[in-house]
Amino acid sequence: MCLKKLLLSIVLLYALDFDAQTCCSGGIPLSNNIGLPILEKGTLQFGVSYDYNNLNTLNNGTEKLDDNSRLRITHSVLVNTNYSISNNLSIEGLFTWINQRRNISQFGNENLDLSSGIGDAVLLFKYDATKWFSKIIGKNSSLQFGLGTKLPLGSSTETNNQGITLNADLQPGSNAWDAIYLSSFSSSFNFRPSLSFTLRVIYRSTGTNNSYFRNTTYKFGNEFQGFLSFSDQFSFLKTIANPSISFKYRDAQLDQIGGFDLDNTGGNWVFLIPDFSINLKPNITFSTKAELPIYSNVDGTQLTPTYRITTGLLFKIKPKPILPNLN
Amino acid sequence: MKNYILKSLIFLLVVSCSSSDVNSDNNQGTQNNSPWLIPINEVRDGGPGKDGIPSIDSPNFTNASEVNFLNDNDFVIGIVKNNEAKAYPHIVMDWHEITNDAIGSDFFTLNYCPLTGTAFAWESIANGNRSTFGVSGLLYNANLILYDRNTDSNWSQLQLECVNGQLIGNKPTLLNVVETNWKTWKSLYPNTKVLNTQTGFSRTYGTSPYGDYAVNNNRFIFTPSIINNALPNKDRVYCIIDEDKSKVYQFSDFTNGKVIKDSFNGKDYLIVGNENIINAFELTAEYQNTTFEYELNESEGSIFKDDSGNTWSIFGKVVSGSQTGNSLQNPKSVVSYWFAIAAFYPNPEIYAMP
Repeated sequence: MCLKKLLLSIVLLYALDFDAQTCCSGGIPLSNNIGLPILEKGTLQFGVSYDYNNLNTLNNGTEKLDDNSRLRITHSVLVNTNYSISNNLSIEGLFTWINQRRNISQFGNENLDLSSGIGDAVLLFKYDATKWFSKIIGKNSSLQFGLGTKLPLGSSTETNNQGITLNADLQPGSNAWDAIYLSSFSSSFNFRPSLSFTLRVIYRSTGTNNSYFRNTTYKFGNEFQGFLSFSDQFSFLKTIANPSISFKYRDAQLDQIGGFDLDNTGGNWVFLIPDFSINLKPNITFSTKAELPIYSNVDGTQLTPTYRITTGLLFKIKPKPILPNLN
Repeated sequence: MKNYILKSLIFLLVVSCSSSDVNSDNNQGTQNNSPWLIPINEVRDGGPGKDGIPSIDSPNFTNASEVNFLNDNDFVIGIVKNNEAKAYPHIVMDWHEITNDAIGSDFFTLNYCPLTGTAFAWESIANGNRSTFGVSGLLYNANLILYDRNTDSNWSQLQLECVNGQLIGNKPTLLNVVETNWKTWKSLYPNTKVLNTQTGFSRTYGTSPYGDYAVNNNRFIFTPSIINNALPNKDRVYCIIDEDKSKVYQFSDFTNGKVIKDSFNGKDYLIVGNENIINAFELTAEYQNTTFEYELNESEGSIFKDDSGNTWSIFGKVVSGSQTGNSLQNPKSVVSYWFAIAAFYPNPEIYAMP
């Protein structure tokens, strides 16, 4: 039964229209880090994590070029908050601080450009629709939908030390509102209820910065991401540990400048994401994960992700239980 | 135990979040307020960063007869010095923009901006000493800004001037180059050497990094401050530059070959060429009354002749006749996309056929 659900999910994933796409590979990892679970009504979740994204691989299409002179690093601090308005509805906010670095090592010199500051944020409503689809998805399964927006809180006019405005890829913010759609389906296996799989898709329809360099427009490419994850749970150091392994497919359309496609942006990738989380306390979870590209097909010639590491803590504050009135 | 792990993890998280790299040439750390001769708010960060587009500092060449990586219509930038001809194909220069090279003991920097279609060669000198030049990663009016590796000063290619840094206000000493297609160049200079793709860098030569940019008149990656609609933005024109003024000549006016005497900004010029190649020369008093005529003679590498029977190369040198060895001087000139000339030298004159 569970295997059927899994196959059905994979078929659904591939049946989706994949003409979507993204922001640059070096940007803020917004889509990666949204989608906290909907918990019991009144539960507040608060997460803080650090994300390190290293791009040091120069590709032409799928071909890796023999050139590691360009290094693009993004350090991000991510703060998630999620509040369960009801048992089926939650609101989630993702706020970021970002440090972007472009380092060129060439001819015996190193040149660094960087920017730092508050990045864009995400506001997302999630609804658990399991009860409406229980006959279709069966027992031990859940189905959730999300709708949100990216808020352009970050600066898009940062300059270097000479006062020259950095390009869009190095800005903490995008100066554009995006629409974000999320759906997630998860189910546990009958033969081992702690083992589950999750299928999650996120589509980001990007807005346009209408004042890029003051006289043109910039639009990051629309982005589609699909995750297929398998996770299990076991006892470790007298607490609960959750290892998981995910496959992520990401497809990003070309950016546009002045309304025209910008070469050497966009592409599609498949990543392998091993993840390990452990409950340090009943209400505190530590997690760490790596994101490793196993397939990269960029448009034109561009830097492509080499690896990404994310680690953080998630705190859960449950509502006080309502004690029965014994009088 | 778990408390200990928790505290350790929080500590590590805080430390990792506050870590920072140390770098030798940090473009963000200290403010550099050195003045610019061009409006700094119109200088753009091109994206790849300084030296992100690597210059070719150890160029390799192939003899014309062995070239198999060029099509007849591929553009090349040609230079002749000390009777040695060299060609620098766009398909290579698109990815490097600068080649630091030498002919004999004459060092020069050949630079080409794919976004404005402009190529120059100038002596590899900065602050009186030999220097290589690199790609700064900055653009002004969509045009390449080079930097010299002696003083780190920034040079605007199409403004032909150092616009920032220790050498601000310095002007490069130009060498004459022409831009034409491979078929035309190799017919004029069959013994030419050609910059090949053994550059030391891994790139997809032959594929433009800018897609249809060169032919799409509506498309800009970096929009210049001035747009002049007198001609389509990406029309390739030949341009004479005199101080802050310019006059452009359209290749279509030279179809099948022409020699034109023209005046611009109080000076007289001889403009010679055909639909594939144009060059101009200052018309000194000595030649004011000379009659010139277009006559392509590929076997001797001449493209026009005078009424005394001398034949002249596209670089304005007499290659046969009684004045063999004489030459005409070239003005500052360049082949460019129309929009770039109009942005740097506003309201250019456009030559009109009489």
